[in-house]
Amino acid sequence: MENSESEYRVEMTGISKSFGPVSVLEGVDLRVKHGEIHALLGENGAGKSTLVKILSGVHQKDGGKVLLNGKEINPKNTHDGQVLGISVVYQELSLVNDLSVAENIYLHKMGASKFWMNWKELIKDAQELIDSLGFDINAAARVRDLSIVQKQVVEIAKALSEDTKVLILDEPTTVFDPNDIKKLFENLFRLKKQGISIIYISHHLDEVFKIADTVTVLRDGVDTGSLPVSETDTDGVIRLMIGRDLKDLFPVRDIEIGKEPIFEVKNLTARDNLVHDVSFSVRPGEVLGIAGLGGSGRTETAKLIFGVGKKQSGTIILNGKEIKTKSPVDAVGFEIGFVSEDRKEEGVFLPLSIRRNISVTSFKSICTNLGFLKVDKEFKNVIGLIDKLNIKAPSCEVDVKNLSGGNQQKVALAKWLSIDSKVIIIDEPTRGVDVGAKVEIYNLINEVAKKGVGIVVISSDMPEIMGISDRILVMHQGTFYGELQKEQFSEENILRYSIGEPIK
Amino acid sequence: MALTIKQQLSSPGGILKFLIKYNTIFIFIVLVIFSALISDVFFTSANLTNLLKQVSGIGIISIGMLIVILTGGIDLSVGSLVALLAVIFALLVNTVILPVAILLTIIIGFSIGSVSGYLVAFQKMAPFIATLALMTIARGLGFIYSKGSPITFKSPGGEFMADFANNSTIGIPNIAIVFLIIVVLAMVMLRYNVFGRLIIALGSNEEASRLSGIKVNKYKFLVYAISGALAATAAIIVASRTNLGSPNMGMAWELDAIAAVVIGGASLNGGKGTAINTLIGVLILGLIGNILNLLNVPSYPQQVVKGGIIIFAVLLQKFESK
Ligand SMILES: Nc1ncnc2c1ncn2[C@@H]1O[C@H](COP(=O)(O)OP(=O)(O)OP(=O)(O)O)[C@@H](O)[C@H]1O
Ligand SMILES: [Mg+2]
Repeated sequence: MENSESEYRVEMTGISKSFGPVSVLEGVDLRVKHGEIHALLGENGAGKSTLVKILSGVHQKDGGKVLLNGKEINPKNTHDGQVLGISVVYQELSLVNDLSVAENIYLHKMGASKFWMNWKELIKDAQELIDSLGFDINAAARVRDLSIVQKQVVEIAKALSEDTKVLILDEPTTVFDPNDIKKLFENLFRLKKQGISIIYISHHLDEVFKIADTVTVLRDGVDTGSLPVSETDTDGVIRLMIGRDLKDLFPVRDIEIGKEPIFEVKNLTARDNLVHDVSFSVRPGEVLGIAGLGGSGRTETAKLIFGVGKKQSGTIILNGKEIKTKSPVDAVGFEIGFVSEDRKEEGVFLPLSIRRNISVTSFKSICTNLGFLKVDKEFKNVIGLIDKLNIKAPSCEVDVKNLSGGNQQKVALAKWLSIDSKVIIIDEPTRGVDVGAKVEIYNLINEVAKKGVGIVVISSDMPEIMGISDRILVMHQGTFYGELQKEQFSEENILRYSIGEPIK
Repeated sequence: MALTIKQQLSSPGGILKFLIKYNTIFIFIVLVIFSALISDVFFTSANLTNLLKQVSGIGIISIGMLIVILTGGIDLSVGSLVALLAVIFALLVNTVILPVAILLTIIIGFSIGSVSGYLVAFQKMAPFIATLALMTIARGLGFIYSKGSPITFKSPGGEFMADFANNSTIGIPNIAIVFLIIVVLAMVMLRYNVFGRLIIALGSNEEASRLSGIKVNKYKFLVYAISGALAATAAIIVASRTNLGSPNMGMAWELDAIAAVVIGGASLNGGKGTAINTLIGVLILGLIGNILNLLNVPSYPQQVVKGGIIIFAVLLQKFESK
């Protein structure tokens, strides 16, 4: 640890910030010690991302003071932040898809280095860095070809460099399976030992209690104080976050599940063979969970069904009739819905308003035959959903890019859960969503199931998948390895199946 | 945020923000006032009529350009299409009855646009490349069909069109009326019809559109075809105004159309832009030309000024997005 007279590495005091007329932060304090893991918690839209973006130079504060090692700093842009040793893994991926992994990792340093790059060395260095993190990614691969989990690892690698003093991670684990999370934590502990201060934002409270030394909770742009983790527990933190106790995270599943499957997949195999011999069925009203490690083929299976990606063989049966889904257009035509895990690239339209985002799947019900919009109906529909899902926004005309991450996720979900479907496949339903809002989403999923829709949920979040599924299928290396009935649900059983071992 | 105009103006720095937000209209009004002050011919009906007539052709193709740009594409072929289709219309008007000539020209325009659309949507060709190729092909065909020289109207149908194109109804030039009808149609389609919603969605995130079950290829194809049909409409109008179809017509019009759309605040990345702003963009470009003509500025300096205004307008929009 380096010598410094100041007790804190980072000291933010009285920070305020508004976007136009909307005040987001009001007099927030955040103090992070040297070599500490400091969790920053709060509901969706509480202002967590905004606060760390002020620290890193993305946003400029309206008022308050930021000290780094006791010296006042005023980063005007992210470059300033980097020079000061502040590195961030942002909530949304920000990689350049057409460059290689290595180029992405060193992108922000390229401008400063010599004119000619030594590519071999670059790739070697990047490979060493990734290997040292314990992940298996080829540094020469193009980012476009990576899975979202791998992209997230590249983001983390990118944020680590020799002179990082403060590492900020804004919901880094939303796409990680328990194995990945374990690896990440080992790395964080190592960095902490080197004296690096880490600010960790997450909605997974169990994670926080595993790694953090101190928590700071934000509520509606005001901090409710900081506590050593040892002095609080999950319920205490939730109370600070939402101002009340949270009774049941998961709704009671009292739905009558149909006898005949509404949807069946038989021996589905992808042309690239990443997914092979996948068979399953869902009944009306049933919530089928799909678990597995990252890269086991869960997302690929969903996309294959939905008509993205080429099928080699296999049949898909809806209501007893075989259907062909060559493209998403076909799938949607058969009333199959799909919520992607990658909301920024595949889920929402960032530059468009909440209204335009949600309506994009529901034109059938809000249009005349000639395609003219019934605007009243549209507004009513959208405002109803904003209310129901508690989407935090000043109006339905706000662009989705100005929403917090969790609220964007709710928009992505609303688009599908508000229309009539026979089957809905949801890939990571609550990515980045706070505990309170999770309950609302689970309730909505339940409500949709009640209408006799078959629901398939893919999730890496263990409590979630066990809490909402009626049955869980576990994927391993591109196919289903095992099935768990409700009474067999346990973290251990899921993990065993996901690494290809029988359960006890 | 739903603030009223009054609230916007009274907030701190409000007037400036307001001006930046509505910069296109602001530039337009400044230009009008400026023109009226420095030239007393400007506000004469003869000059205004002339101005409207001059912008109508480019205006119509600008609307086509707008819907292509909304999807994130570009259509470089429209200027050459105007030439080719003007020649074709002149040939047709001299051989078949007028309604058939008009209809056929528009169908041919739609079909040529469909070729670009097919290449972009189904062959995944870059719009810039596909329409660049169509641009030289159309220009070449124009010269081939006309044998290099203008084809004059020589039929009653042609005379009727020339009359129509050079006259006014209730003080507004007929061709400007055609242009305005197209603007209104585009406005309605973009605002109140699914078509507009979908092409804007498509332009702002193609992958998310595909995964929402939107027929991405169909709409990509359609916008180029429509742009072709609008180029045909523009061709009929400009040919009728001069009573002939010439392979030299529409030189570099695609660039003016792109400029008009961009001055109107549309984003070349797609997903952002409106018909009414494009109309203002067209008028701004037309005004600059008009006032410089009234001031007897020769054509080369005119080009320099035009370029300067484009940069200025786009810089103002940068402010807006901050
Ligand atoms: N660029 C922006 N323009 C306008 N409003 C914004 C902008 N960025 C954020 N906001 C608003 O500021 C508030 C705080 O957002 P922020 O992203 O900091 O929340 P968060 O605590 O990180 O939430 P989440 O857990 O969902 O990620 C939200 O209400 C959001 O709508
Ligand atoms: Mg956030």
